[in-house]
Amino acid sequence: MSELPESGAVLSLEDVEAGYGRAALVLRGLSVTVRAGEVVCLVGPNGAGKSTALKVASGLLAPRSGRVLLAGQDVTGLSPQRLLGLGLSHVLQGHSVFREMTVAENVRLGGFTVRDQAKLNERVEVVKELFPVVADRWGSMAGLLSGGQQKQVEFARALMLEPKVVLLDEPSMGLDPRNTQVVFDQIDLMRRTGVAVLLVEQNARRALEMADVGCVLDLGRVHISGPARELAADPRLGRLYLGGAPAN
Amino acid sequence: MNLLLQGLALGVLTGGLYALLASGLSLYFGVMRVVMVAHPAFLFLAAYLTYTVHTTLGLDPFLALPLTVPLFFALGVAVQRLLIARLAPENMAMMSVLLTFGIALTIEGLLGTFYTGSYKSVSMEYATRSLTIGGVHLPYDKIIAFWVAAITLLVLFAVLIKSRFGQSLRATIQHREAARLVGIQTERVAGYGFGVGLATAAVGGTVLALITPFFPASHWVWIGKLMAIIVVGGLGSVVGAALAAVLLGVVEGLVLVTVDATWATIMFYVFLFLTLLARPQGFFGGRLAHRF
Repeated sequence: MSELPESGAVLSLEDVEAGYGRAALVLRGLSVTVRAGEVVCLVGPNGAGKSTALKVASGLLAPRSGRVLLAGQDVTGLSPQRLLGLGLSHVLQGHSVFREMTVAENVRLGGFTVRDQAKLNERVEVVKELFPVVADRWGSMAGLLSGGQQKQVEFARALMLEPKVVLLDEPSMGLDPRNTQVVFDQIDLMRRTGVAVLLVEQNARRALEMADVGCVLDLGRVHISGPARELAADPRLGRLYLGGAPAN
Repeated sequence: MNLLLQGLALGVLTGGLYALLASGLSLYFGVMRVVMVAHPAFLFLAAYLTYTVHTTLGLDPFLALPLTVPLFFALGVAVQRLLIARLAPENMAMMSVLLTFGIALTIEGLLGTFYTGSYKSVSMEYATRSLTIGGVHLPYDKIIAFWVAAITLLVLFAVLIKSRFGQSLRATIQHREAARLVGIQTERVAGYGFGVGLATAAVGGTVLALITPFFPASHWVWIGKLMAIIVVGGLGSVVGAALAAVLLGVVEGLVLVTVDATWATIMFYVFLFLTLLARPQGFFGGRLAHRF
């Protein structure tokens, strides 16, 4: 991966427009920047374009216009495989473990593009240390794990290639408070190890409490952004969620 | 008692062959949610190619496999990449029925043009004898069919479980988007998955050529049976289909010797309707459904 630009931006979406098929645009000029070791949280009502933004960033969806920059390099339209090699991982919304494979197979698949077995084994040991549940349930079928455990397997898989930036789509969705806490602790751990995180969360206040930067999306663009804790206290956030007119 | 044993033995042998013939259908559905109505037509295309190799070169039908297996693999990749991949994902199941129905009709028409509508068969001296164990007669052609099917399925399972390709195919079946995000080229894998499915049809067609006479429209008899097997087994599960194939083969064999051939065939549809009523995901469609 190339050196970071002066701004320290690991990932930037610049004026991105995107949508599905011939349907109307979901993203309408979205711009977001994530710096190394920073958690940027996207919040907003359903349909605001949060998950779509992550799909554009990871190459699952090609934008109609705008640019995606990874460490200053224009990666717009590159495949997920190429972006993975450049240091970008994406954990999908809901459960995305390979249910009928073991935890071991799931985690090792995180290094599918790596042929060097020694390096792969080294990374396996690292993620096992980071995620004790993964080590404990190594031989279990992933589909038999609880929701919280499956999410940790997905995190471990996403960290196999030492990404520079991780995209997390609603990681606490469907989890009980205890497992939600575990998930947020692990996001914090990623940040402390220098990984940039672009987080999408419905649990807005909780996410903004731990994030560095918050962006409130509505109708496919950022309406409010700023330091996350300040944003959490901003009354405009509540208005947007309650269906009020977007603030300028 | 002897009659029941005879039916049971024939049922197991035939069920093994059914397992091979249905495995391709399970793969297509597992990989891309494609209902491949043309699979039996490809089986008989392979049977005709085997017939040609046997009658023109005088070779044993199984010596056609080095030609038909790679050819059908390439054909499968081409069908997926050039035709199936162009269908809209949201209508995949329905549109794939229409598309592959058209492919089946095309193959049938071409076979009729080149080989005429009369029955063909491949007859080998070794396949006409039978083995007798304790009063139970086991025809050699059925024994050969069973072992060819068993070996092919073992190779298929080994590929799916042990190889890098198998791992990426299973990941694609289980969660396509997540598979893309770990760097698997799912479109390419889907193409190869289709190729493997049609390669099993090449083997199945050779076996069919040995055990049954055939004509260009023979495939219609098989599509119902094979569809029933994969629904009973659990759509998309190769293991489920194999277990259902043996189960239905045994039921067919027992009904054949105790009632008649019509009821033996009807049993496939009885099991199909019972499955759809009682357990629509198939009897082995729970945990096993996405394993392979």
